[in-house]
Amino acid sequence: MKKLLALLLTMAMVLSLVACAAPAPAAPAARAGDVNGDGKFVVGYISKNTTDTFHGPINAHATATLDALVADGTIDEWTGILDGLTDPGKQCDLADDCITKGCDAVIILPAEAEGAAPAVQNLTDNGVAVVVVNSKTTNTDELAATYCGSDDVYAGTLLAQHVVDNCPNGGKYIHIQGVLGNSAQIQRGEGMHSIMDALTNFEMVEEMTGNWLSDEAQRIATDALNKYGDELVAIICDNDDMSSGAQGVCNEAGRSDIVCIGVDGNNYPLSMVKAGTMLATVLQDGVGQIQAGIDAVVAISKGETVEKLYDVPFVLVTSANVDQYYTGE
Amino acid sequence: MEMKSVEKKSFFKTDEFKLFMGKYGIGVILFGMLVILCIVEPSFRSTRNFINIAKQVAINGMIAYGMCLVITSGGIDLTVGAQLALAACLLGEFIMKREMAILPACIFTLAITTFLGMCNGLLIAKFNMFPFVVTLSMQLVIRGLAQVISNAQAISMTKEAFKNIYSGFVGPIPVPVILFLIVTVIMYLLLHWTKLGRYILATGGNEKAAVASGVNVFWTKVLAYTISGFLSGLAGIILTAKTSSAQSNLGIGYETDAIAACVIGGTSFLGGVATVPGVFIGIFIIGCIYNGMNLIGVSSYYQTIVKGAMIIAAVLFDKMMNQRT
Repeated sequence: MKKLLALLLTMAMVLSLVACAAPAPAAPAARAGDVNGDGKFVVGYISKNTTDTFHGPINAHATATLDALVADGTIDEWTGILDGLTDPGKQCDLADDCITKGCDAVIILPAEAEGAAPAVQNLTDNGVAVVVVNSKTTNTDELAATYCGSDDVYAGTLLAQHVVDNCPNGGKYIHIQGVLGNSAQIQRGEGMHSIMDALTNFEMVEEMTGNWLSDEAQRIATDALNKYGDELVAIICDNDDMSSGAQGVCNEAGRSDIVCIGVDGNNYPLSMVKAGTMLATVLQDGVGQIQAGIDAVVAISKGETVEKLYDVPFVLVTSANVDQYYTGE
Repeated sequence: MEMKSVEKKSFFKTDEFKLFMGKYGIGVILFGMLVILCIVEPSFRSTRNFINIAKQVAINGMIAYGMCLVITSGGIDLTVGAQLALAACLLGEFIMKREMAILPACIFTLAITTFLGMCNGLLIAKFNMFPFVVTLSMQLVIRGLAQVISNAQAISMTKEAFKNIYSGFVGPIPVPVILFLIVTVIMYLLLHWTKLGRYILATGGNEKAAVASGVNVFWTKVLAYTISGFLSGLAGIILTAKTSSAQSNLGIGYETDAIAACVIGGTSFLGGVATVPGVFIGIFIIGCIYNGMNLIGVSSYYQTIVKGAMIIAAVLFDKMMNQRT
């Protein structure tokens, strides 16, 4: 009981402290994009996560660019990288934090198409301009100021077409998926199936998740090699961390003829294409997407109108054009 | 002169001080955090932000109370994250696919997560298996069930009435905060005022002594896990309303924050020691770490480190203050 009392006292003191706090002096609105009238243009950045190899360079590029924009006075403040932990619930919390912080525009890389939608809704309800980057939430078209990203269904068709082109006789293939329920997993799978399912000479013998992870894909590839042996002609993966892992297993087993391909264009898979140990990978230009997003934010800060959609295209990277994208770091 | 310095030195070592800090120390820490955050960050000290924090901690709070009971009984429940996902997928199936009314759908969902919690308890108490192993495996089973039910597709929860479980208000207070406060009061009464509460504390404190004193250790353990299952289900309903989506990959890693809140709040991993107000404060400390540091602009990498360091500091502090001399 005493503890409850102590707790209530604590709360009371805190509340009185809040009451005493003087409101911030209102400065004249200096920027066109300043929606909340505090005289400052504050940018929020809700990342998808800070751990995936694909998101590392995006966050790094955003940090460098937004820091530079603060330094030269284009924007007044930004929140730093807010870690979404690949959790839509967490992203909803971060949206609340951005509103409290007085953000005028927020860049969000949604963790989920459905789950992160309330975050976008909450932000726009509070007048914040939302720039959605990398993947769409279900309400992006309706609410967001702009979407800067790439079409995952198209990426799926590139995967399938590559396999069709390189396995003229057809055969058995397996599909290693990303984390189930993830919009990239769903859409890339959809694009891939739209081509492969119509072909009678190809047979999908297995479809299971590798959770975007190389080591899980390696395990699945090892099992598939043992099970299907010579009949296996291709391994289609939802990302290229997994396809490079699968290709590594095949090459070690003396089956470098198996066509492995995935999406992203991460550094290691690109190095394999460069070295000729993997035929190709589909590059998703993440840095290009975030740059488009930041450009949109700058335009919003000046009160300019932005396009509803900036499509950053996927590129099939083979030995012919790998030098353009692989920096060798 | 010498006398004086001795007296001065001993102030922080007096039994009164230790007793006070042992009991209220964690509250003092939260209070200190709030004061510092209020001074450093203007946007922190708004009523709106305090309501935000309460809303944000509600989900973790519910899980933490269940976790607290289980840890106090001498076990651990690693299934909570998967239970959230299962609850979400069940709601998606019931409400959106079978077009059930919201209330019965929630009741069915709670019944199922509660039943699975009971399964945890039965396996642990009946066969004397390690709680860590049982719940680690059950977590896989439950998340698998969620994937089977949802077919690994996300279902959009479009019903406004359902979304209001998270975004609705009763007067000025959000619904999840009300639910959280109700659960807090019930848990307080349960742990500190009922027989079951005493039994849980006794079972975790010294199982043999509890048996000797006539406590039914079997049912005490089963009930602790059952309640944890129920509370995870409730948290799952709120999370589903919050993200307005039913999908099988929700709630990954949620057990970490729940365990952290318990430990910061003075719940002993050896079992037998816990207070509901302590856990309540622990829950808010975790919430303030996330919210406060985001507002100040501390990099998320450091936030993770701070959270870990806080847990260690809390345990150390607890050990020092409650040392018998």
